[in-house]
Amino acid sequence: MSAILECSGLTKQFGKKEALSEVNLKVERGQIVGLLGPNGSGKSTLIKLANELLTPTNGTILIGGKKPGVDTKKIVSYLPERTYLNDWMRVNQLIEMFSDFYENFNPEKAYDMLKSLKINPEDRLKTMSKGTKEKVQLILVMSREAELYLLDEPIGGVDPAARDYILQTILRNYNEKATVIISTHLISDIENILDYVIFINQGQVVLTSSVDDIRDEKGKSVDSLFREVFKC
Amino acid sequence: MLGKLMKYEVKATGRIFLPLFLALLIFATITRFLSSIGPEAWDTPAVISIVIYGIIMVGMFVMTLIMMIQRFYKNLLSDEGYLMLTLPVKPWQHIVSKLLVSMLWIVASIITAFISSLVIALKKGDLTNLLAEFTALYQRAIQELGSSVYIWSFEIIIMLLISLASGILITYASIALGHLFNRHKMLATFGAFIVLSTLTQIFFTILGMFPGATYLSNLHISANDIIGMQRIAHLAMAGGIIFNALLCSAYFAITNFILSKRLNLE
Repeated sequence: MSAILECSGLTKQFGKKEALSEVNLKVERGQIVGLLGPNGSGKSTLIKLANELLTPTNGTILIGGKKPGVDTKKIVSYLPERTYLNDWMRVNQLIEMFSDFYENFNPEKAYDMLKSLKINPEDRLKTMSKGTKEKVQLILVMSREAELYLLDEPIGGVDPAARDYILQTILRNYNEKATVIISTHLISDIENILDYVIFINQGQVVLTSSVDDIRDEKGKSVDSLFREVFKC
Repeated sequence: MLGKLMKYEVKATGRIFLPLFLALLIFATITRFLSSIGPEAWDTPAVISIVIYGIIMVGMFVMTLIMMIQRFYKNLLSDEGYLMLTLPVKPWQHIVSKLLVSMLWIVASIITAFISSLVIALKKGDLTNLLAEFTALYQRAIQELGSSVYIWSFEIIIMLLISLASGILITYASIALGHLFNRHKMLATFGAFIVLSTLTQIFFTILGMFPGATYLSNLHISANDIIGMQRIAHLAMAGGIIFNALLCSAYFAITNFILSKRLNLE
């Protein structure tokens, strides 16, 4: 089976600024991967390119061997870094909408998770706090039986207890054949669930390694390696 | 998928338009009621009511314009775009669903406005009179033109719809072209609109220079000879429809190309 995500000479320029520069990556299936880097390093750009929300300036990006398009969108579940849902909709309307458009959406899972987090499905998004909205967004994304989950800062705006719940949810809903790519800078929180890390800085990949290798060979935690590599 | 997109589009826009339609009809009814109560004491409320009615009417049409633009810009090229454009749906389906739903609301607004004006203006027995007049007109038309009345009505409706579509599509194309710019998107959008409109005008002028076109513009349609003139008139109408359709395709192609191959969602 092909790698779930493959980048080849991937470059993205915004005017004069090069957000991604000749990125070569191969992410295998069945892994939880951390895409780690300081602000503005190109993490979100890479993820947006995988979702066809940006077009590459150069190079290619392939999801399951295909270029981003309708087929890849069916198997990719994406959580953006922002509130992107229609504010006026109720949670149950959103669940209905996701069920309508995505064949692999599992509404029961969604309702279960909402119940655990004590979120009322009848509530309108407009009336929720930012943190609650983010939880709803995450629930919708994780309720899909996708092959690739792209989570851009999933735990940033959320309290520590909910963070734990979210990470547990990711682990629990994790289908062995699926890959989860989490982009974040809250490394110590997620370090324990990661299999593999990609360090990215100023649009270039500086390190790729399995977490085990880092711990065994370098004898450090991912968090301390990060601080070392990205020292200001 | 197109049907599903349209369903959600109607849901999202209906919550704005249906209350407006309702408000319009309510104020038409209130105005009617207040105007028909005789004594002058009711004049002021009646005037207020009709002013509010007028404001709602204008507001409704302005809203169809704003919605048309906003649904395309806000829902596809702004934060909501992160949801819409990651749906497993091709960009052309997004364009078509928004186009059709915008057209739906514009037509619905016109019909509601018409009905509301009848609510205000119609007196007892007027409706029966009007219907009688229409039937008479219809009979006369069939007498004179035969079954081509249907063809004419069909052509006129198509012409109106295509013109409406081309107006909406040129707006979408302008917004899409504006999206290509990193800064000053608003300015770029207006600029694109001006450029597209100018190109359209040039297109029509060039068309007008073709031999035979002057023949069309110098046709003398005599009332005595409507039957004979019909063929040429149909041709002219068909020509208009085809050219408008070409414009629609061009605007659509521009918009689709930008959404598929030049998207840069910020």
